[in-house]
Amino acid sequence: MLDLADDLAVISLEGHDDGHFVFDPRPLGDLTKGERLYAMGNPLDLGFSIVDGTYNGLVEHSYVQRIHFSGALNPGMSGGPTVTADGRVVGINVAHQVGGELVSFLVPAQFAESLLARADATDPPTPESLRAEIGRQLTDWSTKLHDAVGAVGLKPAGFGPYLAPQIDSPWFTCWAETNAGRVPKPRASIEATHCTSDTRLFVSEDLNTGMISLTQSLVRSVDLNQFQFATFLAQQVRLPWLGPAPRKWFTPQRCEEGFTKAPTSGTGPPIDAVWCARAYRQFDGLYDVAVMSVTQDSGSEALVSRLGIQGVTYENAMALTKRIFAALQWSK
Amino acid sequence: MEQVIWVEILSRQLGVIARHRCTGPEIRIGRGYDNDIVLDDTSIAAAHLRIARNADGVLMAEDLGSANGLYAGHAKERVRRVAIDADQPLRIGNTLLRIREPGYQVAAEKAERAPHVAISTVAAIGVATLLLQVLILWLNETTEPRFASYLPTLLGVPAVALAWTASWALLCRIFSGHPRFIRNLFIAFSVFLAYTLFTSAVALVAFGFSWHPIATYQYAIAWCFFAVVCVLHLREISASHLPLKAGIAAALAALAIGSQTILRSEVSGTQRSYALVLLPPALHVIPAKSQDVFFSNIEKLKQSLDRDRTESPDGD
Repeated sequence: MLDLADDLAVISLEGHDDGHFVFDPRPLGDLTKGERLYAMGNPLDLGFSIVDGTYNGLVEHSYVQRIHFSGALNPGMSGGPTVTADGRVVGINVAHQVGGELVSFLVPAQFAESLLARADATDPPTPESLRAEIGRQLTDWSTKLHDAVGAVGLKPAGFGPYLAPQIDSPWFTCWAETNAGRVPKPRASIEATHCTSDTRLFVSEDLNTGMISLTQSLVRSVDLNQFQFATFLAQQVRLPWLGPAPRKWFTPQRCEEGFTKAPTSGTGPPIDAVWCARAYRQFDGLYDVAVMSVTQDSGSEALVSRLGIQGVTYENAMALTKRIFAALQWSK
Repeated sequence: MEQVIWVEILSRQLGVIARHRCTGPEIRIGRGYDNDIVLDDTSIAAAHLRIARNADGVLMAEDLGSANGLYAGHAKERVRRVAIDADQPLRIGNTLLRIREPGYQVAAEKAERAPHVAISTVAAIGVATLLLQVLILWLNETTEPRFASYLPTLLGVPAVALAWTASWALLCRIFSGHPRFIRNLFIAFSVFLAYTLFTSAVALVAFGFSWHPIATYQYAIAWCFFAVVCVLHLREISASHLPLKAGIAAALAALAIGSQTILRSEVSGTQRSYALVLLPPALHVIPAKSQDVFFSNIEKLKQSLDRDRTESPDGD
């Protein structure tokens, strides 16, 4: 029995009866920040270790519920318990922040508890059915995620003469970027906003999926002629293939390009749009999709949109793309 | 009456290595120094062959008792005596001989090849090619323009053209006696110019008419141009068997196109990023289509993707 979204699996060991932990019955709201916790595991294969740290509540602005644990979790401790001072499990070790210090994450115990209850109530799955189960859970998770994305608004942001949508959700992290400071001075200016969702789902060592990223860039020519500007735009538009694409997991990429006008006439510019997709070999109905559009109403200025969606159903990808295309407009 | 007989020593391709004018009722050929024609071939006897007229006045070749014998052309059986055929070589030892009399009719003279191409024409085409390359380079320039970025093209195009032409001119010289350098240079520049114009036209059409797939098959046309330029160069060397040469070039081009197609689908596949070609938006010829068309094409793409899923990942 496994829970893909929360990185948990139930396995049974034969002939072991050395005792077990119990879950802490308190709801998470009853723990206080600063409460001492003890994580256990086998960090870096050094042997069984106990690491103490502090409870710091649930990670804010996160799509998934994770406990922020201020302690040193290291590779090898994943799946181990983190307990309170009186030995009750509060969370399961899952990750630490690369580049951070003593910033680690735990899956709240309630997810493990409910998974365990489900495992008790059903027969253990056969190895053959596990792959299908993963596919089913991935599709489920993706559908829920895209329902949540569908429910949030698209915030229009001004980019020169255009209004481009950004996904208005707290669990999207956005940052701005410009090429203005580069030396030698660039001959076309780029002002971009990148947004990615905090929704990475671990499937295997060589497969992480679930991320949604949206980048809007306003590109303006400084002293390039129209042909040179077009070449510059084409260079900007290397599709962001969210991670490597090993043949084991993905079919080859297929793309479709089109010169299309705005869905409601008069509201927005015509765009040159490219849609590239690849299918997950092992999971029916799931695809990675990358969409890019360049406005085509000016020879010296353009808005470049890049949308990347990992692990999504085709219908959801098309729906999100349609929404984003429809929101690309001229600012009045 | 003086009888003139021409004895020709031939190469294996039946080209004339040496031609001897002999007179006399009888001509003796062999390795010994008492012959009319002395040959150094060690497979020839000291006194090997006698050319003379028989009682009926027919010119005959007679083996004088050599160990290795006399053969008519490529025949397997040795003969003692054979009538002379002006077009049929005789073989003694490792030497091919041909006997002709003054009455032999030669073919009419051939018209001179197409007139020399003027150097000014070739120079003009060469300059046009170079300027077009520089123009294309400039139109794709997105960083600070520096002379250094044009230098490779300015030097490279003439250098490659000259090296390519020199190679073909060398083959021309070896097989036809004349290098025809100017004509070969003319061919090289003309085809290269045509190819550059063609690829530019393809980019314009692909963008203007939104026929995006055609740009991906450009490499196939490039191979066709390559085959055409090779056939044109071969024609300069020798105009014989031209359909055969064209056929071989076409077959090789097809092979190259096929191999490259397989290589592209195998190597790239998932890793290759989409090569978007953009030109000034004013060059759109057909108006923008409705987004419904775009999305219905994307629906069709799904079926191809689902079919890909059923294929094995280890090289389809």
